[in-house]
Amino acid sequence: MALISTRALTKRYPGGVTALDGLSVEIDEGVIGLVGANGAGKSTLIKVLLGLLSPTSGNAEVLGLDVATHGGQIRERVGYMPEHDCLPPDVSATEFVTYMARVSGLPAGAARERTADVLRHVGLYEERYRQMGGYSTGMKQRVKLAQALVHDPRLLFLDEPTNGLDPAGRDEMLALIERIGREFGMTVVVASHLLGEIERVASWLVAIDAGRLLRTAPLASFTERTGQLVVETEEETDALVAALTARGIEARAHGRLATVELGGGGADAVYDAVRDEAVARDLPLVRIEHRRHQLEDLFRDPATPTAGGGSA
Amino acid sequence: MSASPETAGTIYDIGYRHYDGPRLGRRGAVSAIVRAGLRALFGLGRSGRAKILPWGTLALALLPAVIAVAIRVLAGDIIELYSYDNYLWEIGALLPIFLAAQAPELVVNDVRHSVLPLYFSRPISRLDYVLAKGGALALALLSITLLPVLLLFLGRVLAAEDIVAAFGDEAGSLVKIVGNALLHAVVLASIGLAICAVAGRRAYAAGAVLALFLIGGVVSASFQEQGGALADWAPFVNPLSILDGTREWLFGGVSPNSPVRAADVPGPMYAVATLILLGVSWAVLAVRYRRIAT
Repeated sequence: MALISTRALTKRYPGGVTALDGLSVEIDEGVIGLVGANGAGKSTLIKVLLGLLSPTSGNAEVLGLDVATHGGQIRERVGYMPEHDCLPPDVSATEFVTYMARVSGLPAGAARERTADVLRHVGLYEERYRQMGGYSTGMKQRVKLAQALVHDPRLLFLDEPTNGLDPAGRDEMLALIERIGREFGMTVVVASHLLGEIERVASWLVAIDAGRLLRTAPLASFTERTGQLVVETEEETDALVAALTARGIEARAHGRLATVELGGGGADAVYDAVRDEAVARDLPLVRIEHRRHQLEDLFRDPATPTAGGGSA
Repeated sequence: MSASPETAGTIYDIGYRHYDGPRLGRRGAVSAIVRAGLRALFGLGRSGRAKILPWGTLALALLPAVIAVAIRVLAGDIIELYSYDNYLWEIGALLPIFLAAQAPELVVNDVRHSVLPLYFSRPISRLDYVLAKGGALALALLSITLLPVLLLFLGRVLAAEDIVAAFGDEAGSLVKIVGNALLHAVVLASIGLAICAVAGRRAYAAGAVLALFLIGGVVSASFQEQGGALADWAPFVNPLSILDGTREWLFGGVSPNSPVRAADVPGPMYAVATLILLGVSWAVLAVRYRRIAT
């Protein structure tokens, strides 16, 4: 059975903004990337699943429990790391995480023990006894993650966990998320608008746009090879495309990039044709490569290839 | 002794451990919030400076009772400085001071630093949160409204020649003592919490609480001086005299210095005013905490 399932979930805010628009999706175990642009409805979806917001219509189940009627029970077994700052500056990480463990329902002794464990897992050592007001963004993000983990949830919602981190901090946070999924055996739903990051940790993707489900599939299927070749030249791209078209090969120019359809069995012939035409015109060829689907393609006109052109 | 030289002093990363122990759910969560609230209100686990005000206020609240008991023990019941009826009115100024200084500690930072989403993503509801915080505040106030009067009670009983007979005489007053202490604690906690809920910073909340009681007290006194119809209004501009009037209506007994003495108003009016104070406070809390975005 799915850990999370929603049916025709709709959330309209009083101002008239529709954040979720008839979203139906099933989510299973693993590290799940919840991707979408800013304002696509990712945070709203998480809040509805936590029972923090009530949906305008439709329904949702988390861990087999209805969010409308069993919010408390769900929240006992779910961890949540909000997007924004949420730490009081005048207490230490140890004090705060222990308290949050107790508010999750853990007895005092267990709360202390698990706090020590979890802070070590997220990589907070001596500094955990200092007041959090003096923490760097990276340390604050670790505490936010620790308070979401401390009660050993089955399911973890992380909302933009790499927000505000420098590249090294981002790498560490992503490594931590990957480890939580793999080693701690938790299902992690990571909401992010940064596809490049999601790609590194998620095994499954749920893409939403304007509150609607765009696609849900294993990560691999988002990035598999397409039947297209991307050819980049310094100049005369249009002439190359015209020549290829004259040979009966489907091709299109997009500035300095040309996409060339490989067709069925004639892939080698297409490669040869591109090579021959380039040589014949003495074109300054930058690269030729077999294009892969990119996550970004989800959110843009599918005919336009990207400058990064599938070197993945 | 049992550890071999190789293992002693080595820390092993034993990996992630799952938790299979008990989960106390909503009840555990609420009790944790109440405990932490009480610790914050009394400055426990914090710097010495944070303890000065709450413990100082409690000490000052106890002091008249200690003196009264001492006089009674040393000199017998020659003078009656404080009764069960007027004690809270006489130490009344301490209650707003405690409220202004400590109540903001409890809730303002949760809003200001957006900690609420972390609470509300746990097994409690918004109402549970407000009730737990209000409960902690009422319990803390109860220490000031109940302990000194209980001390007075104990002094009277234990200083008597015949302790058993004295207990028999005084025991009837326990209902009044506890009832009045609860009345003051619950109503003042509600007012304090409501003010803190709308104030953005601790200093604003403290200022607003003090202003309410200070202005109320001053206006009330001047009304009383004017006499006539204004004197009837005097008790109703100060929450503390509203509570004193309610106490008198519920349990009887007079507090000679309170404006309730000078006013010619039927007792139930004070109860109505108390209910209005409670109603407005909880309406503010309900609206505020329902609206706060998480």
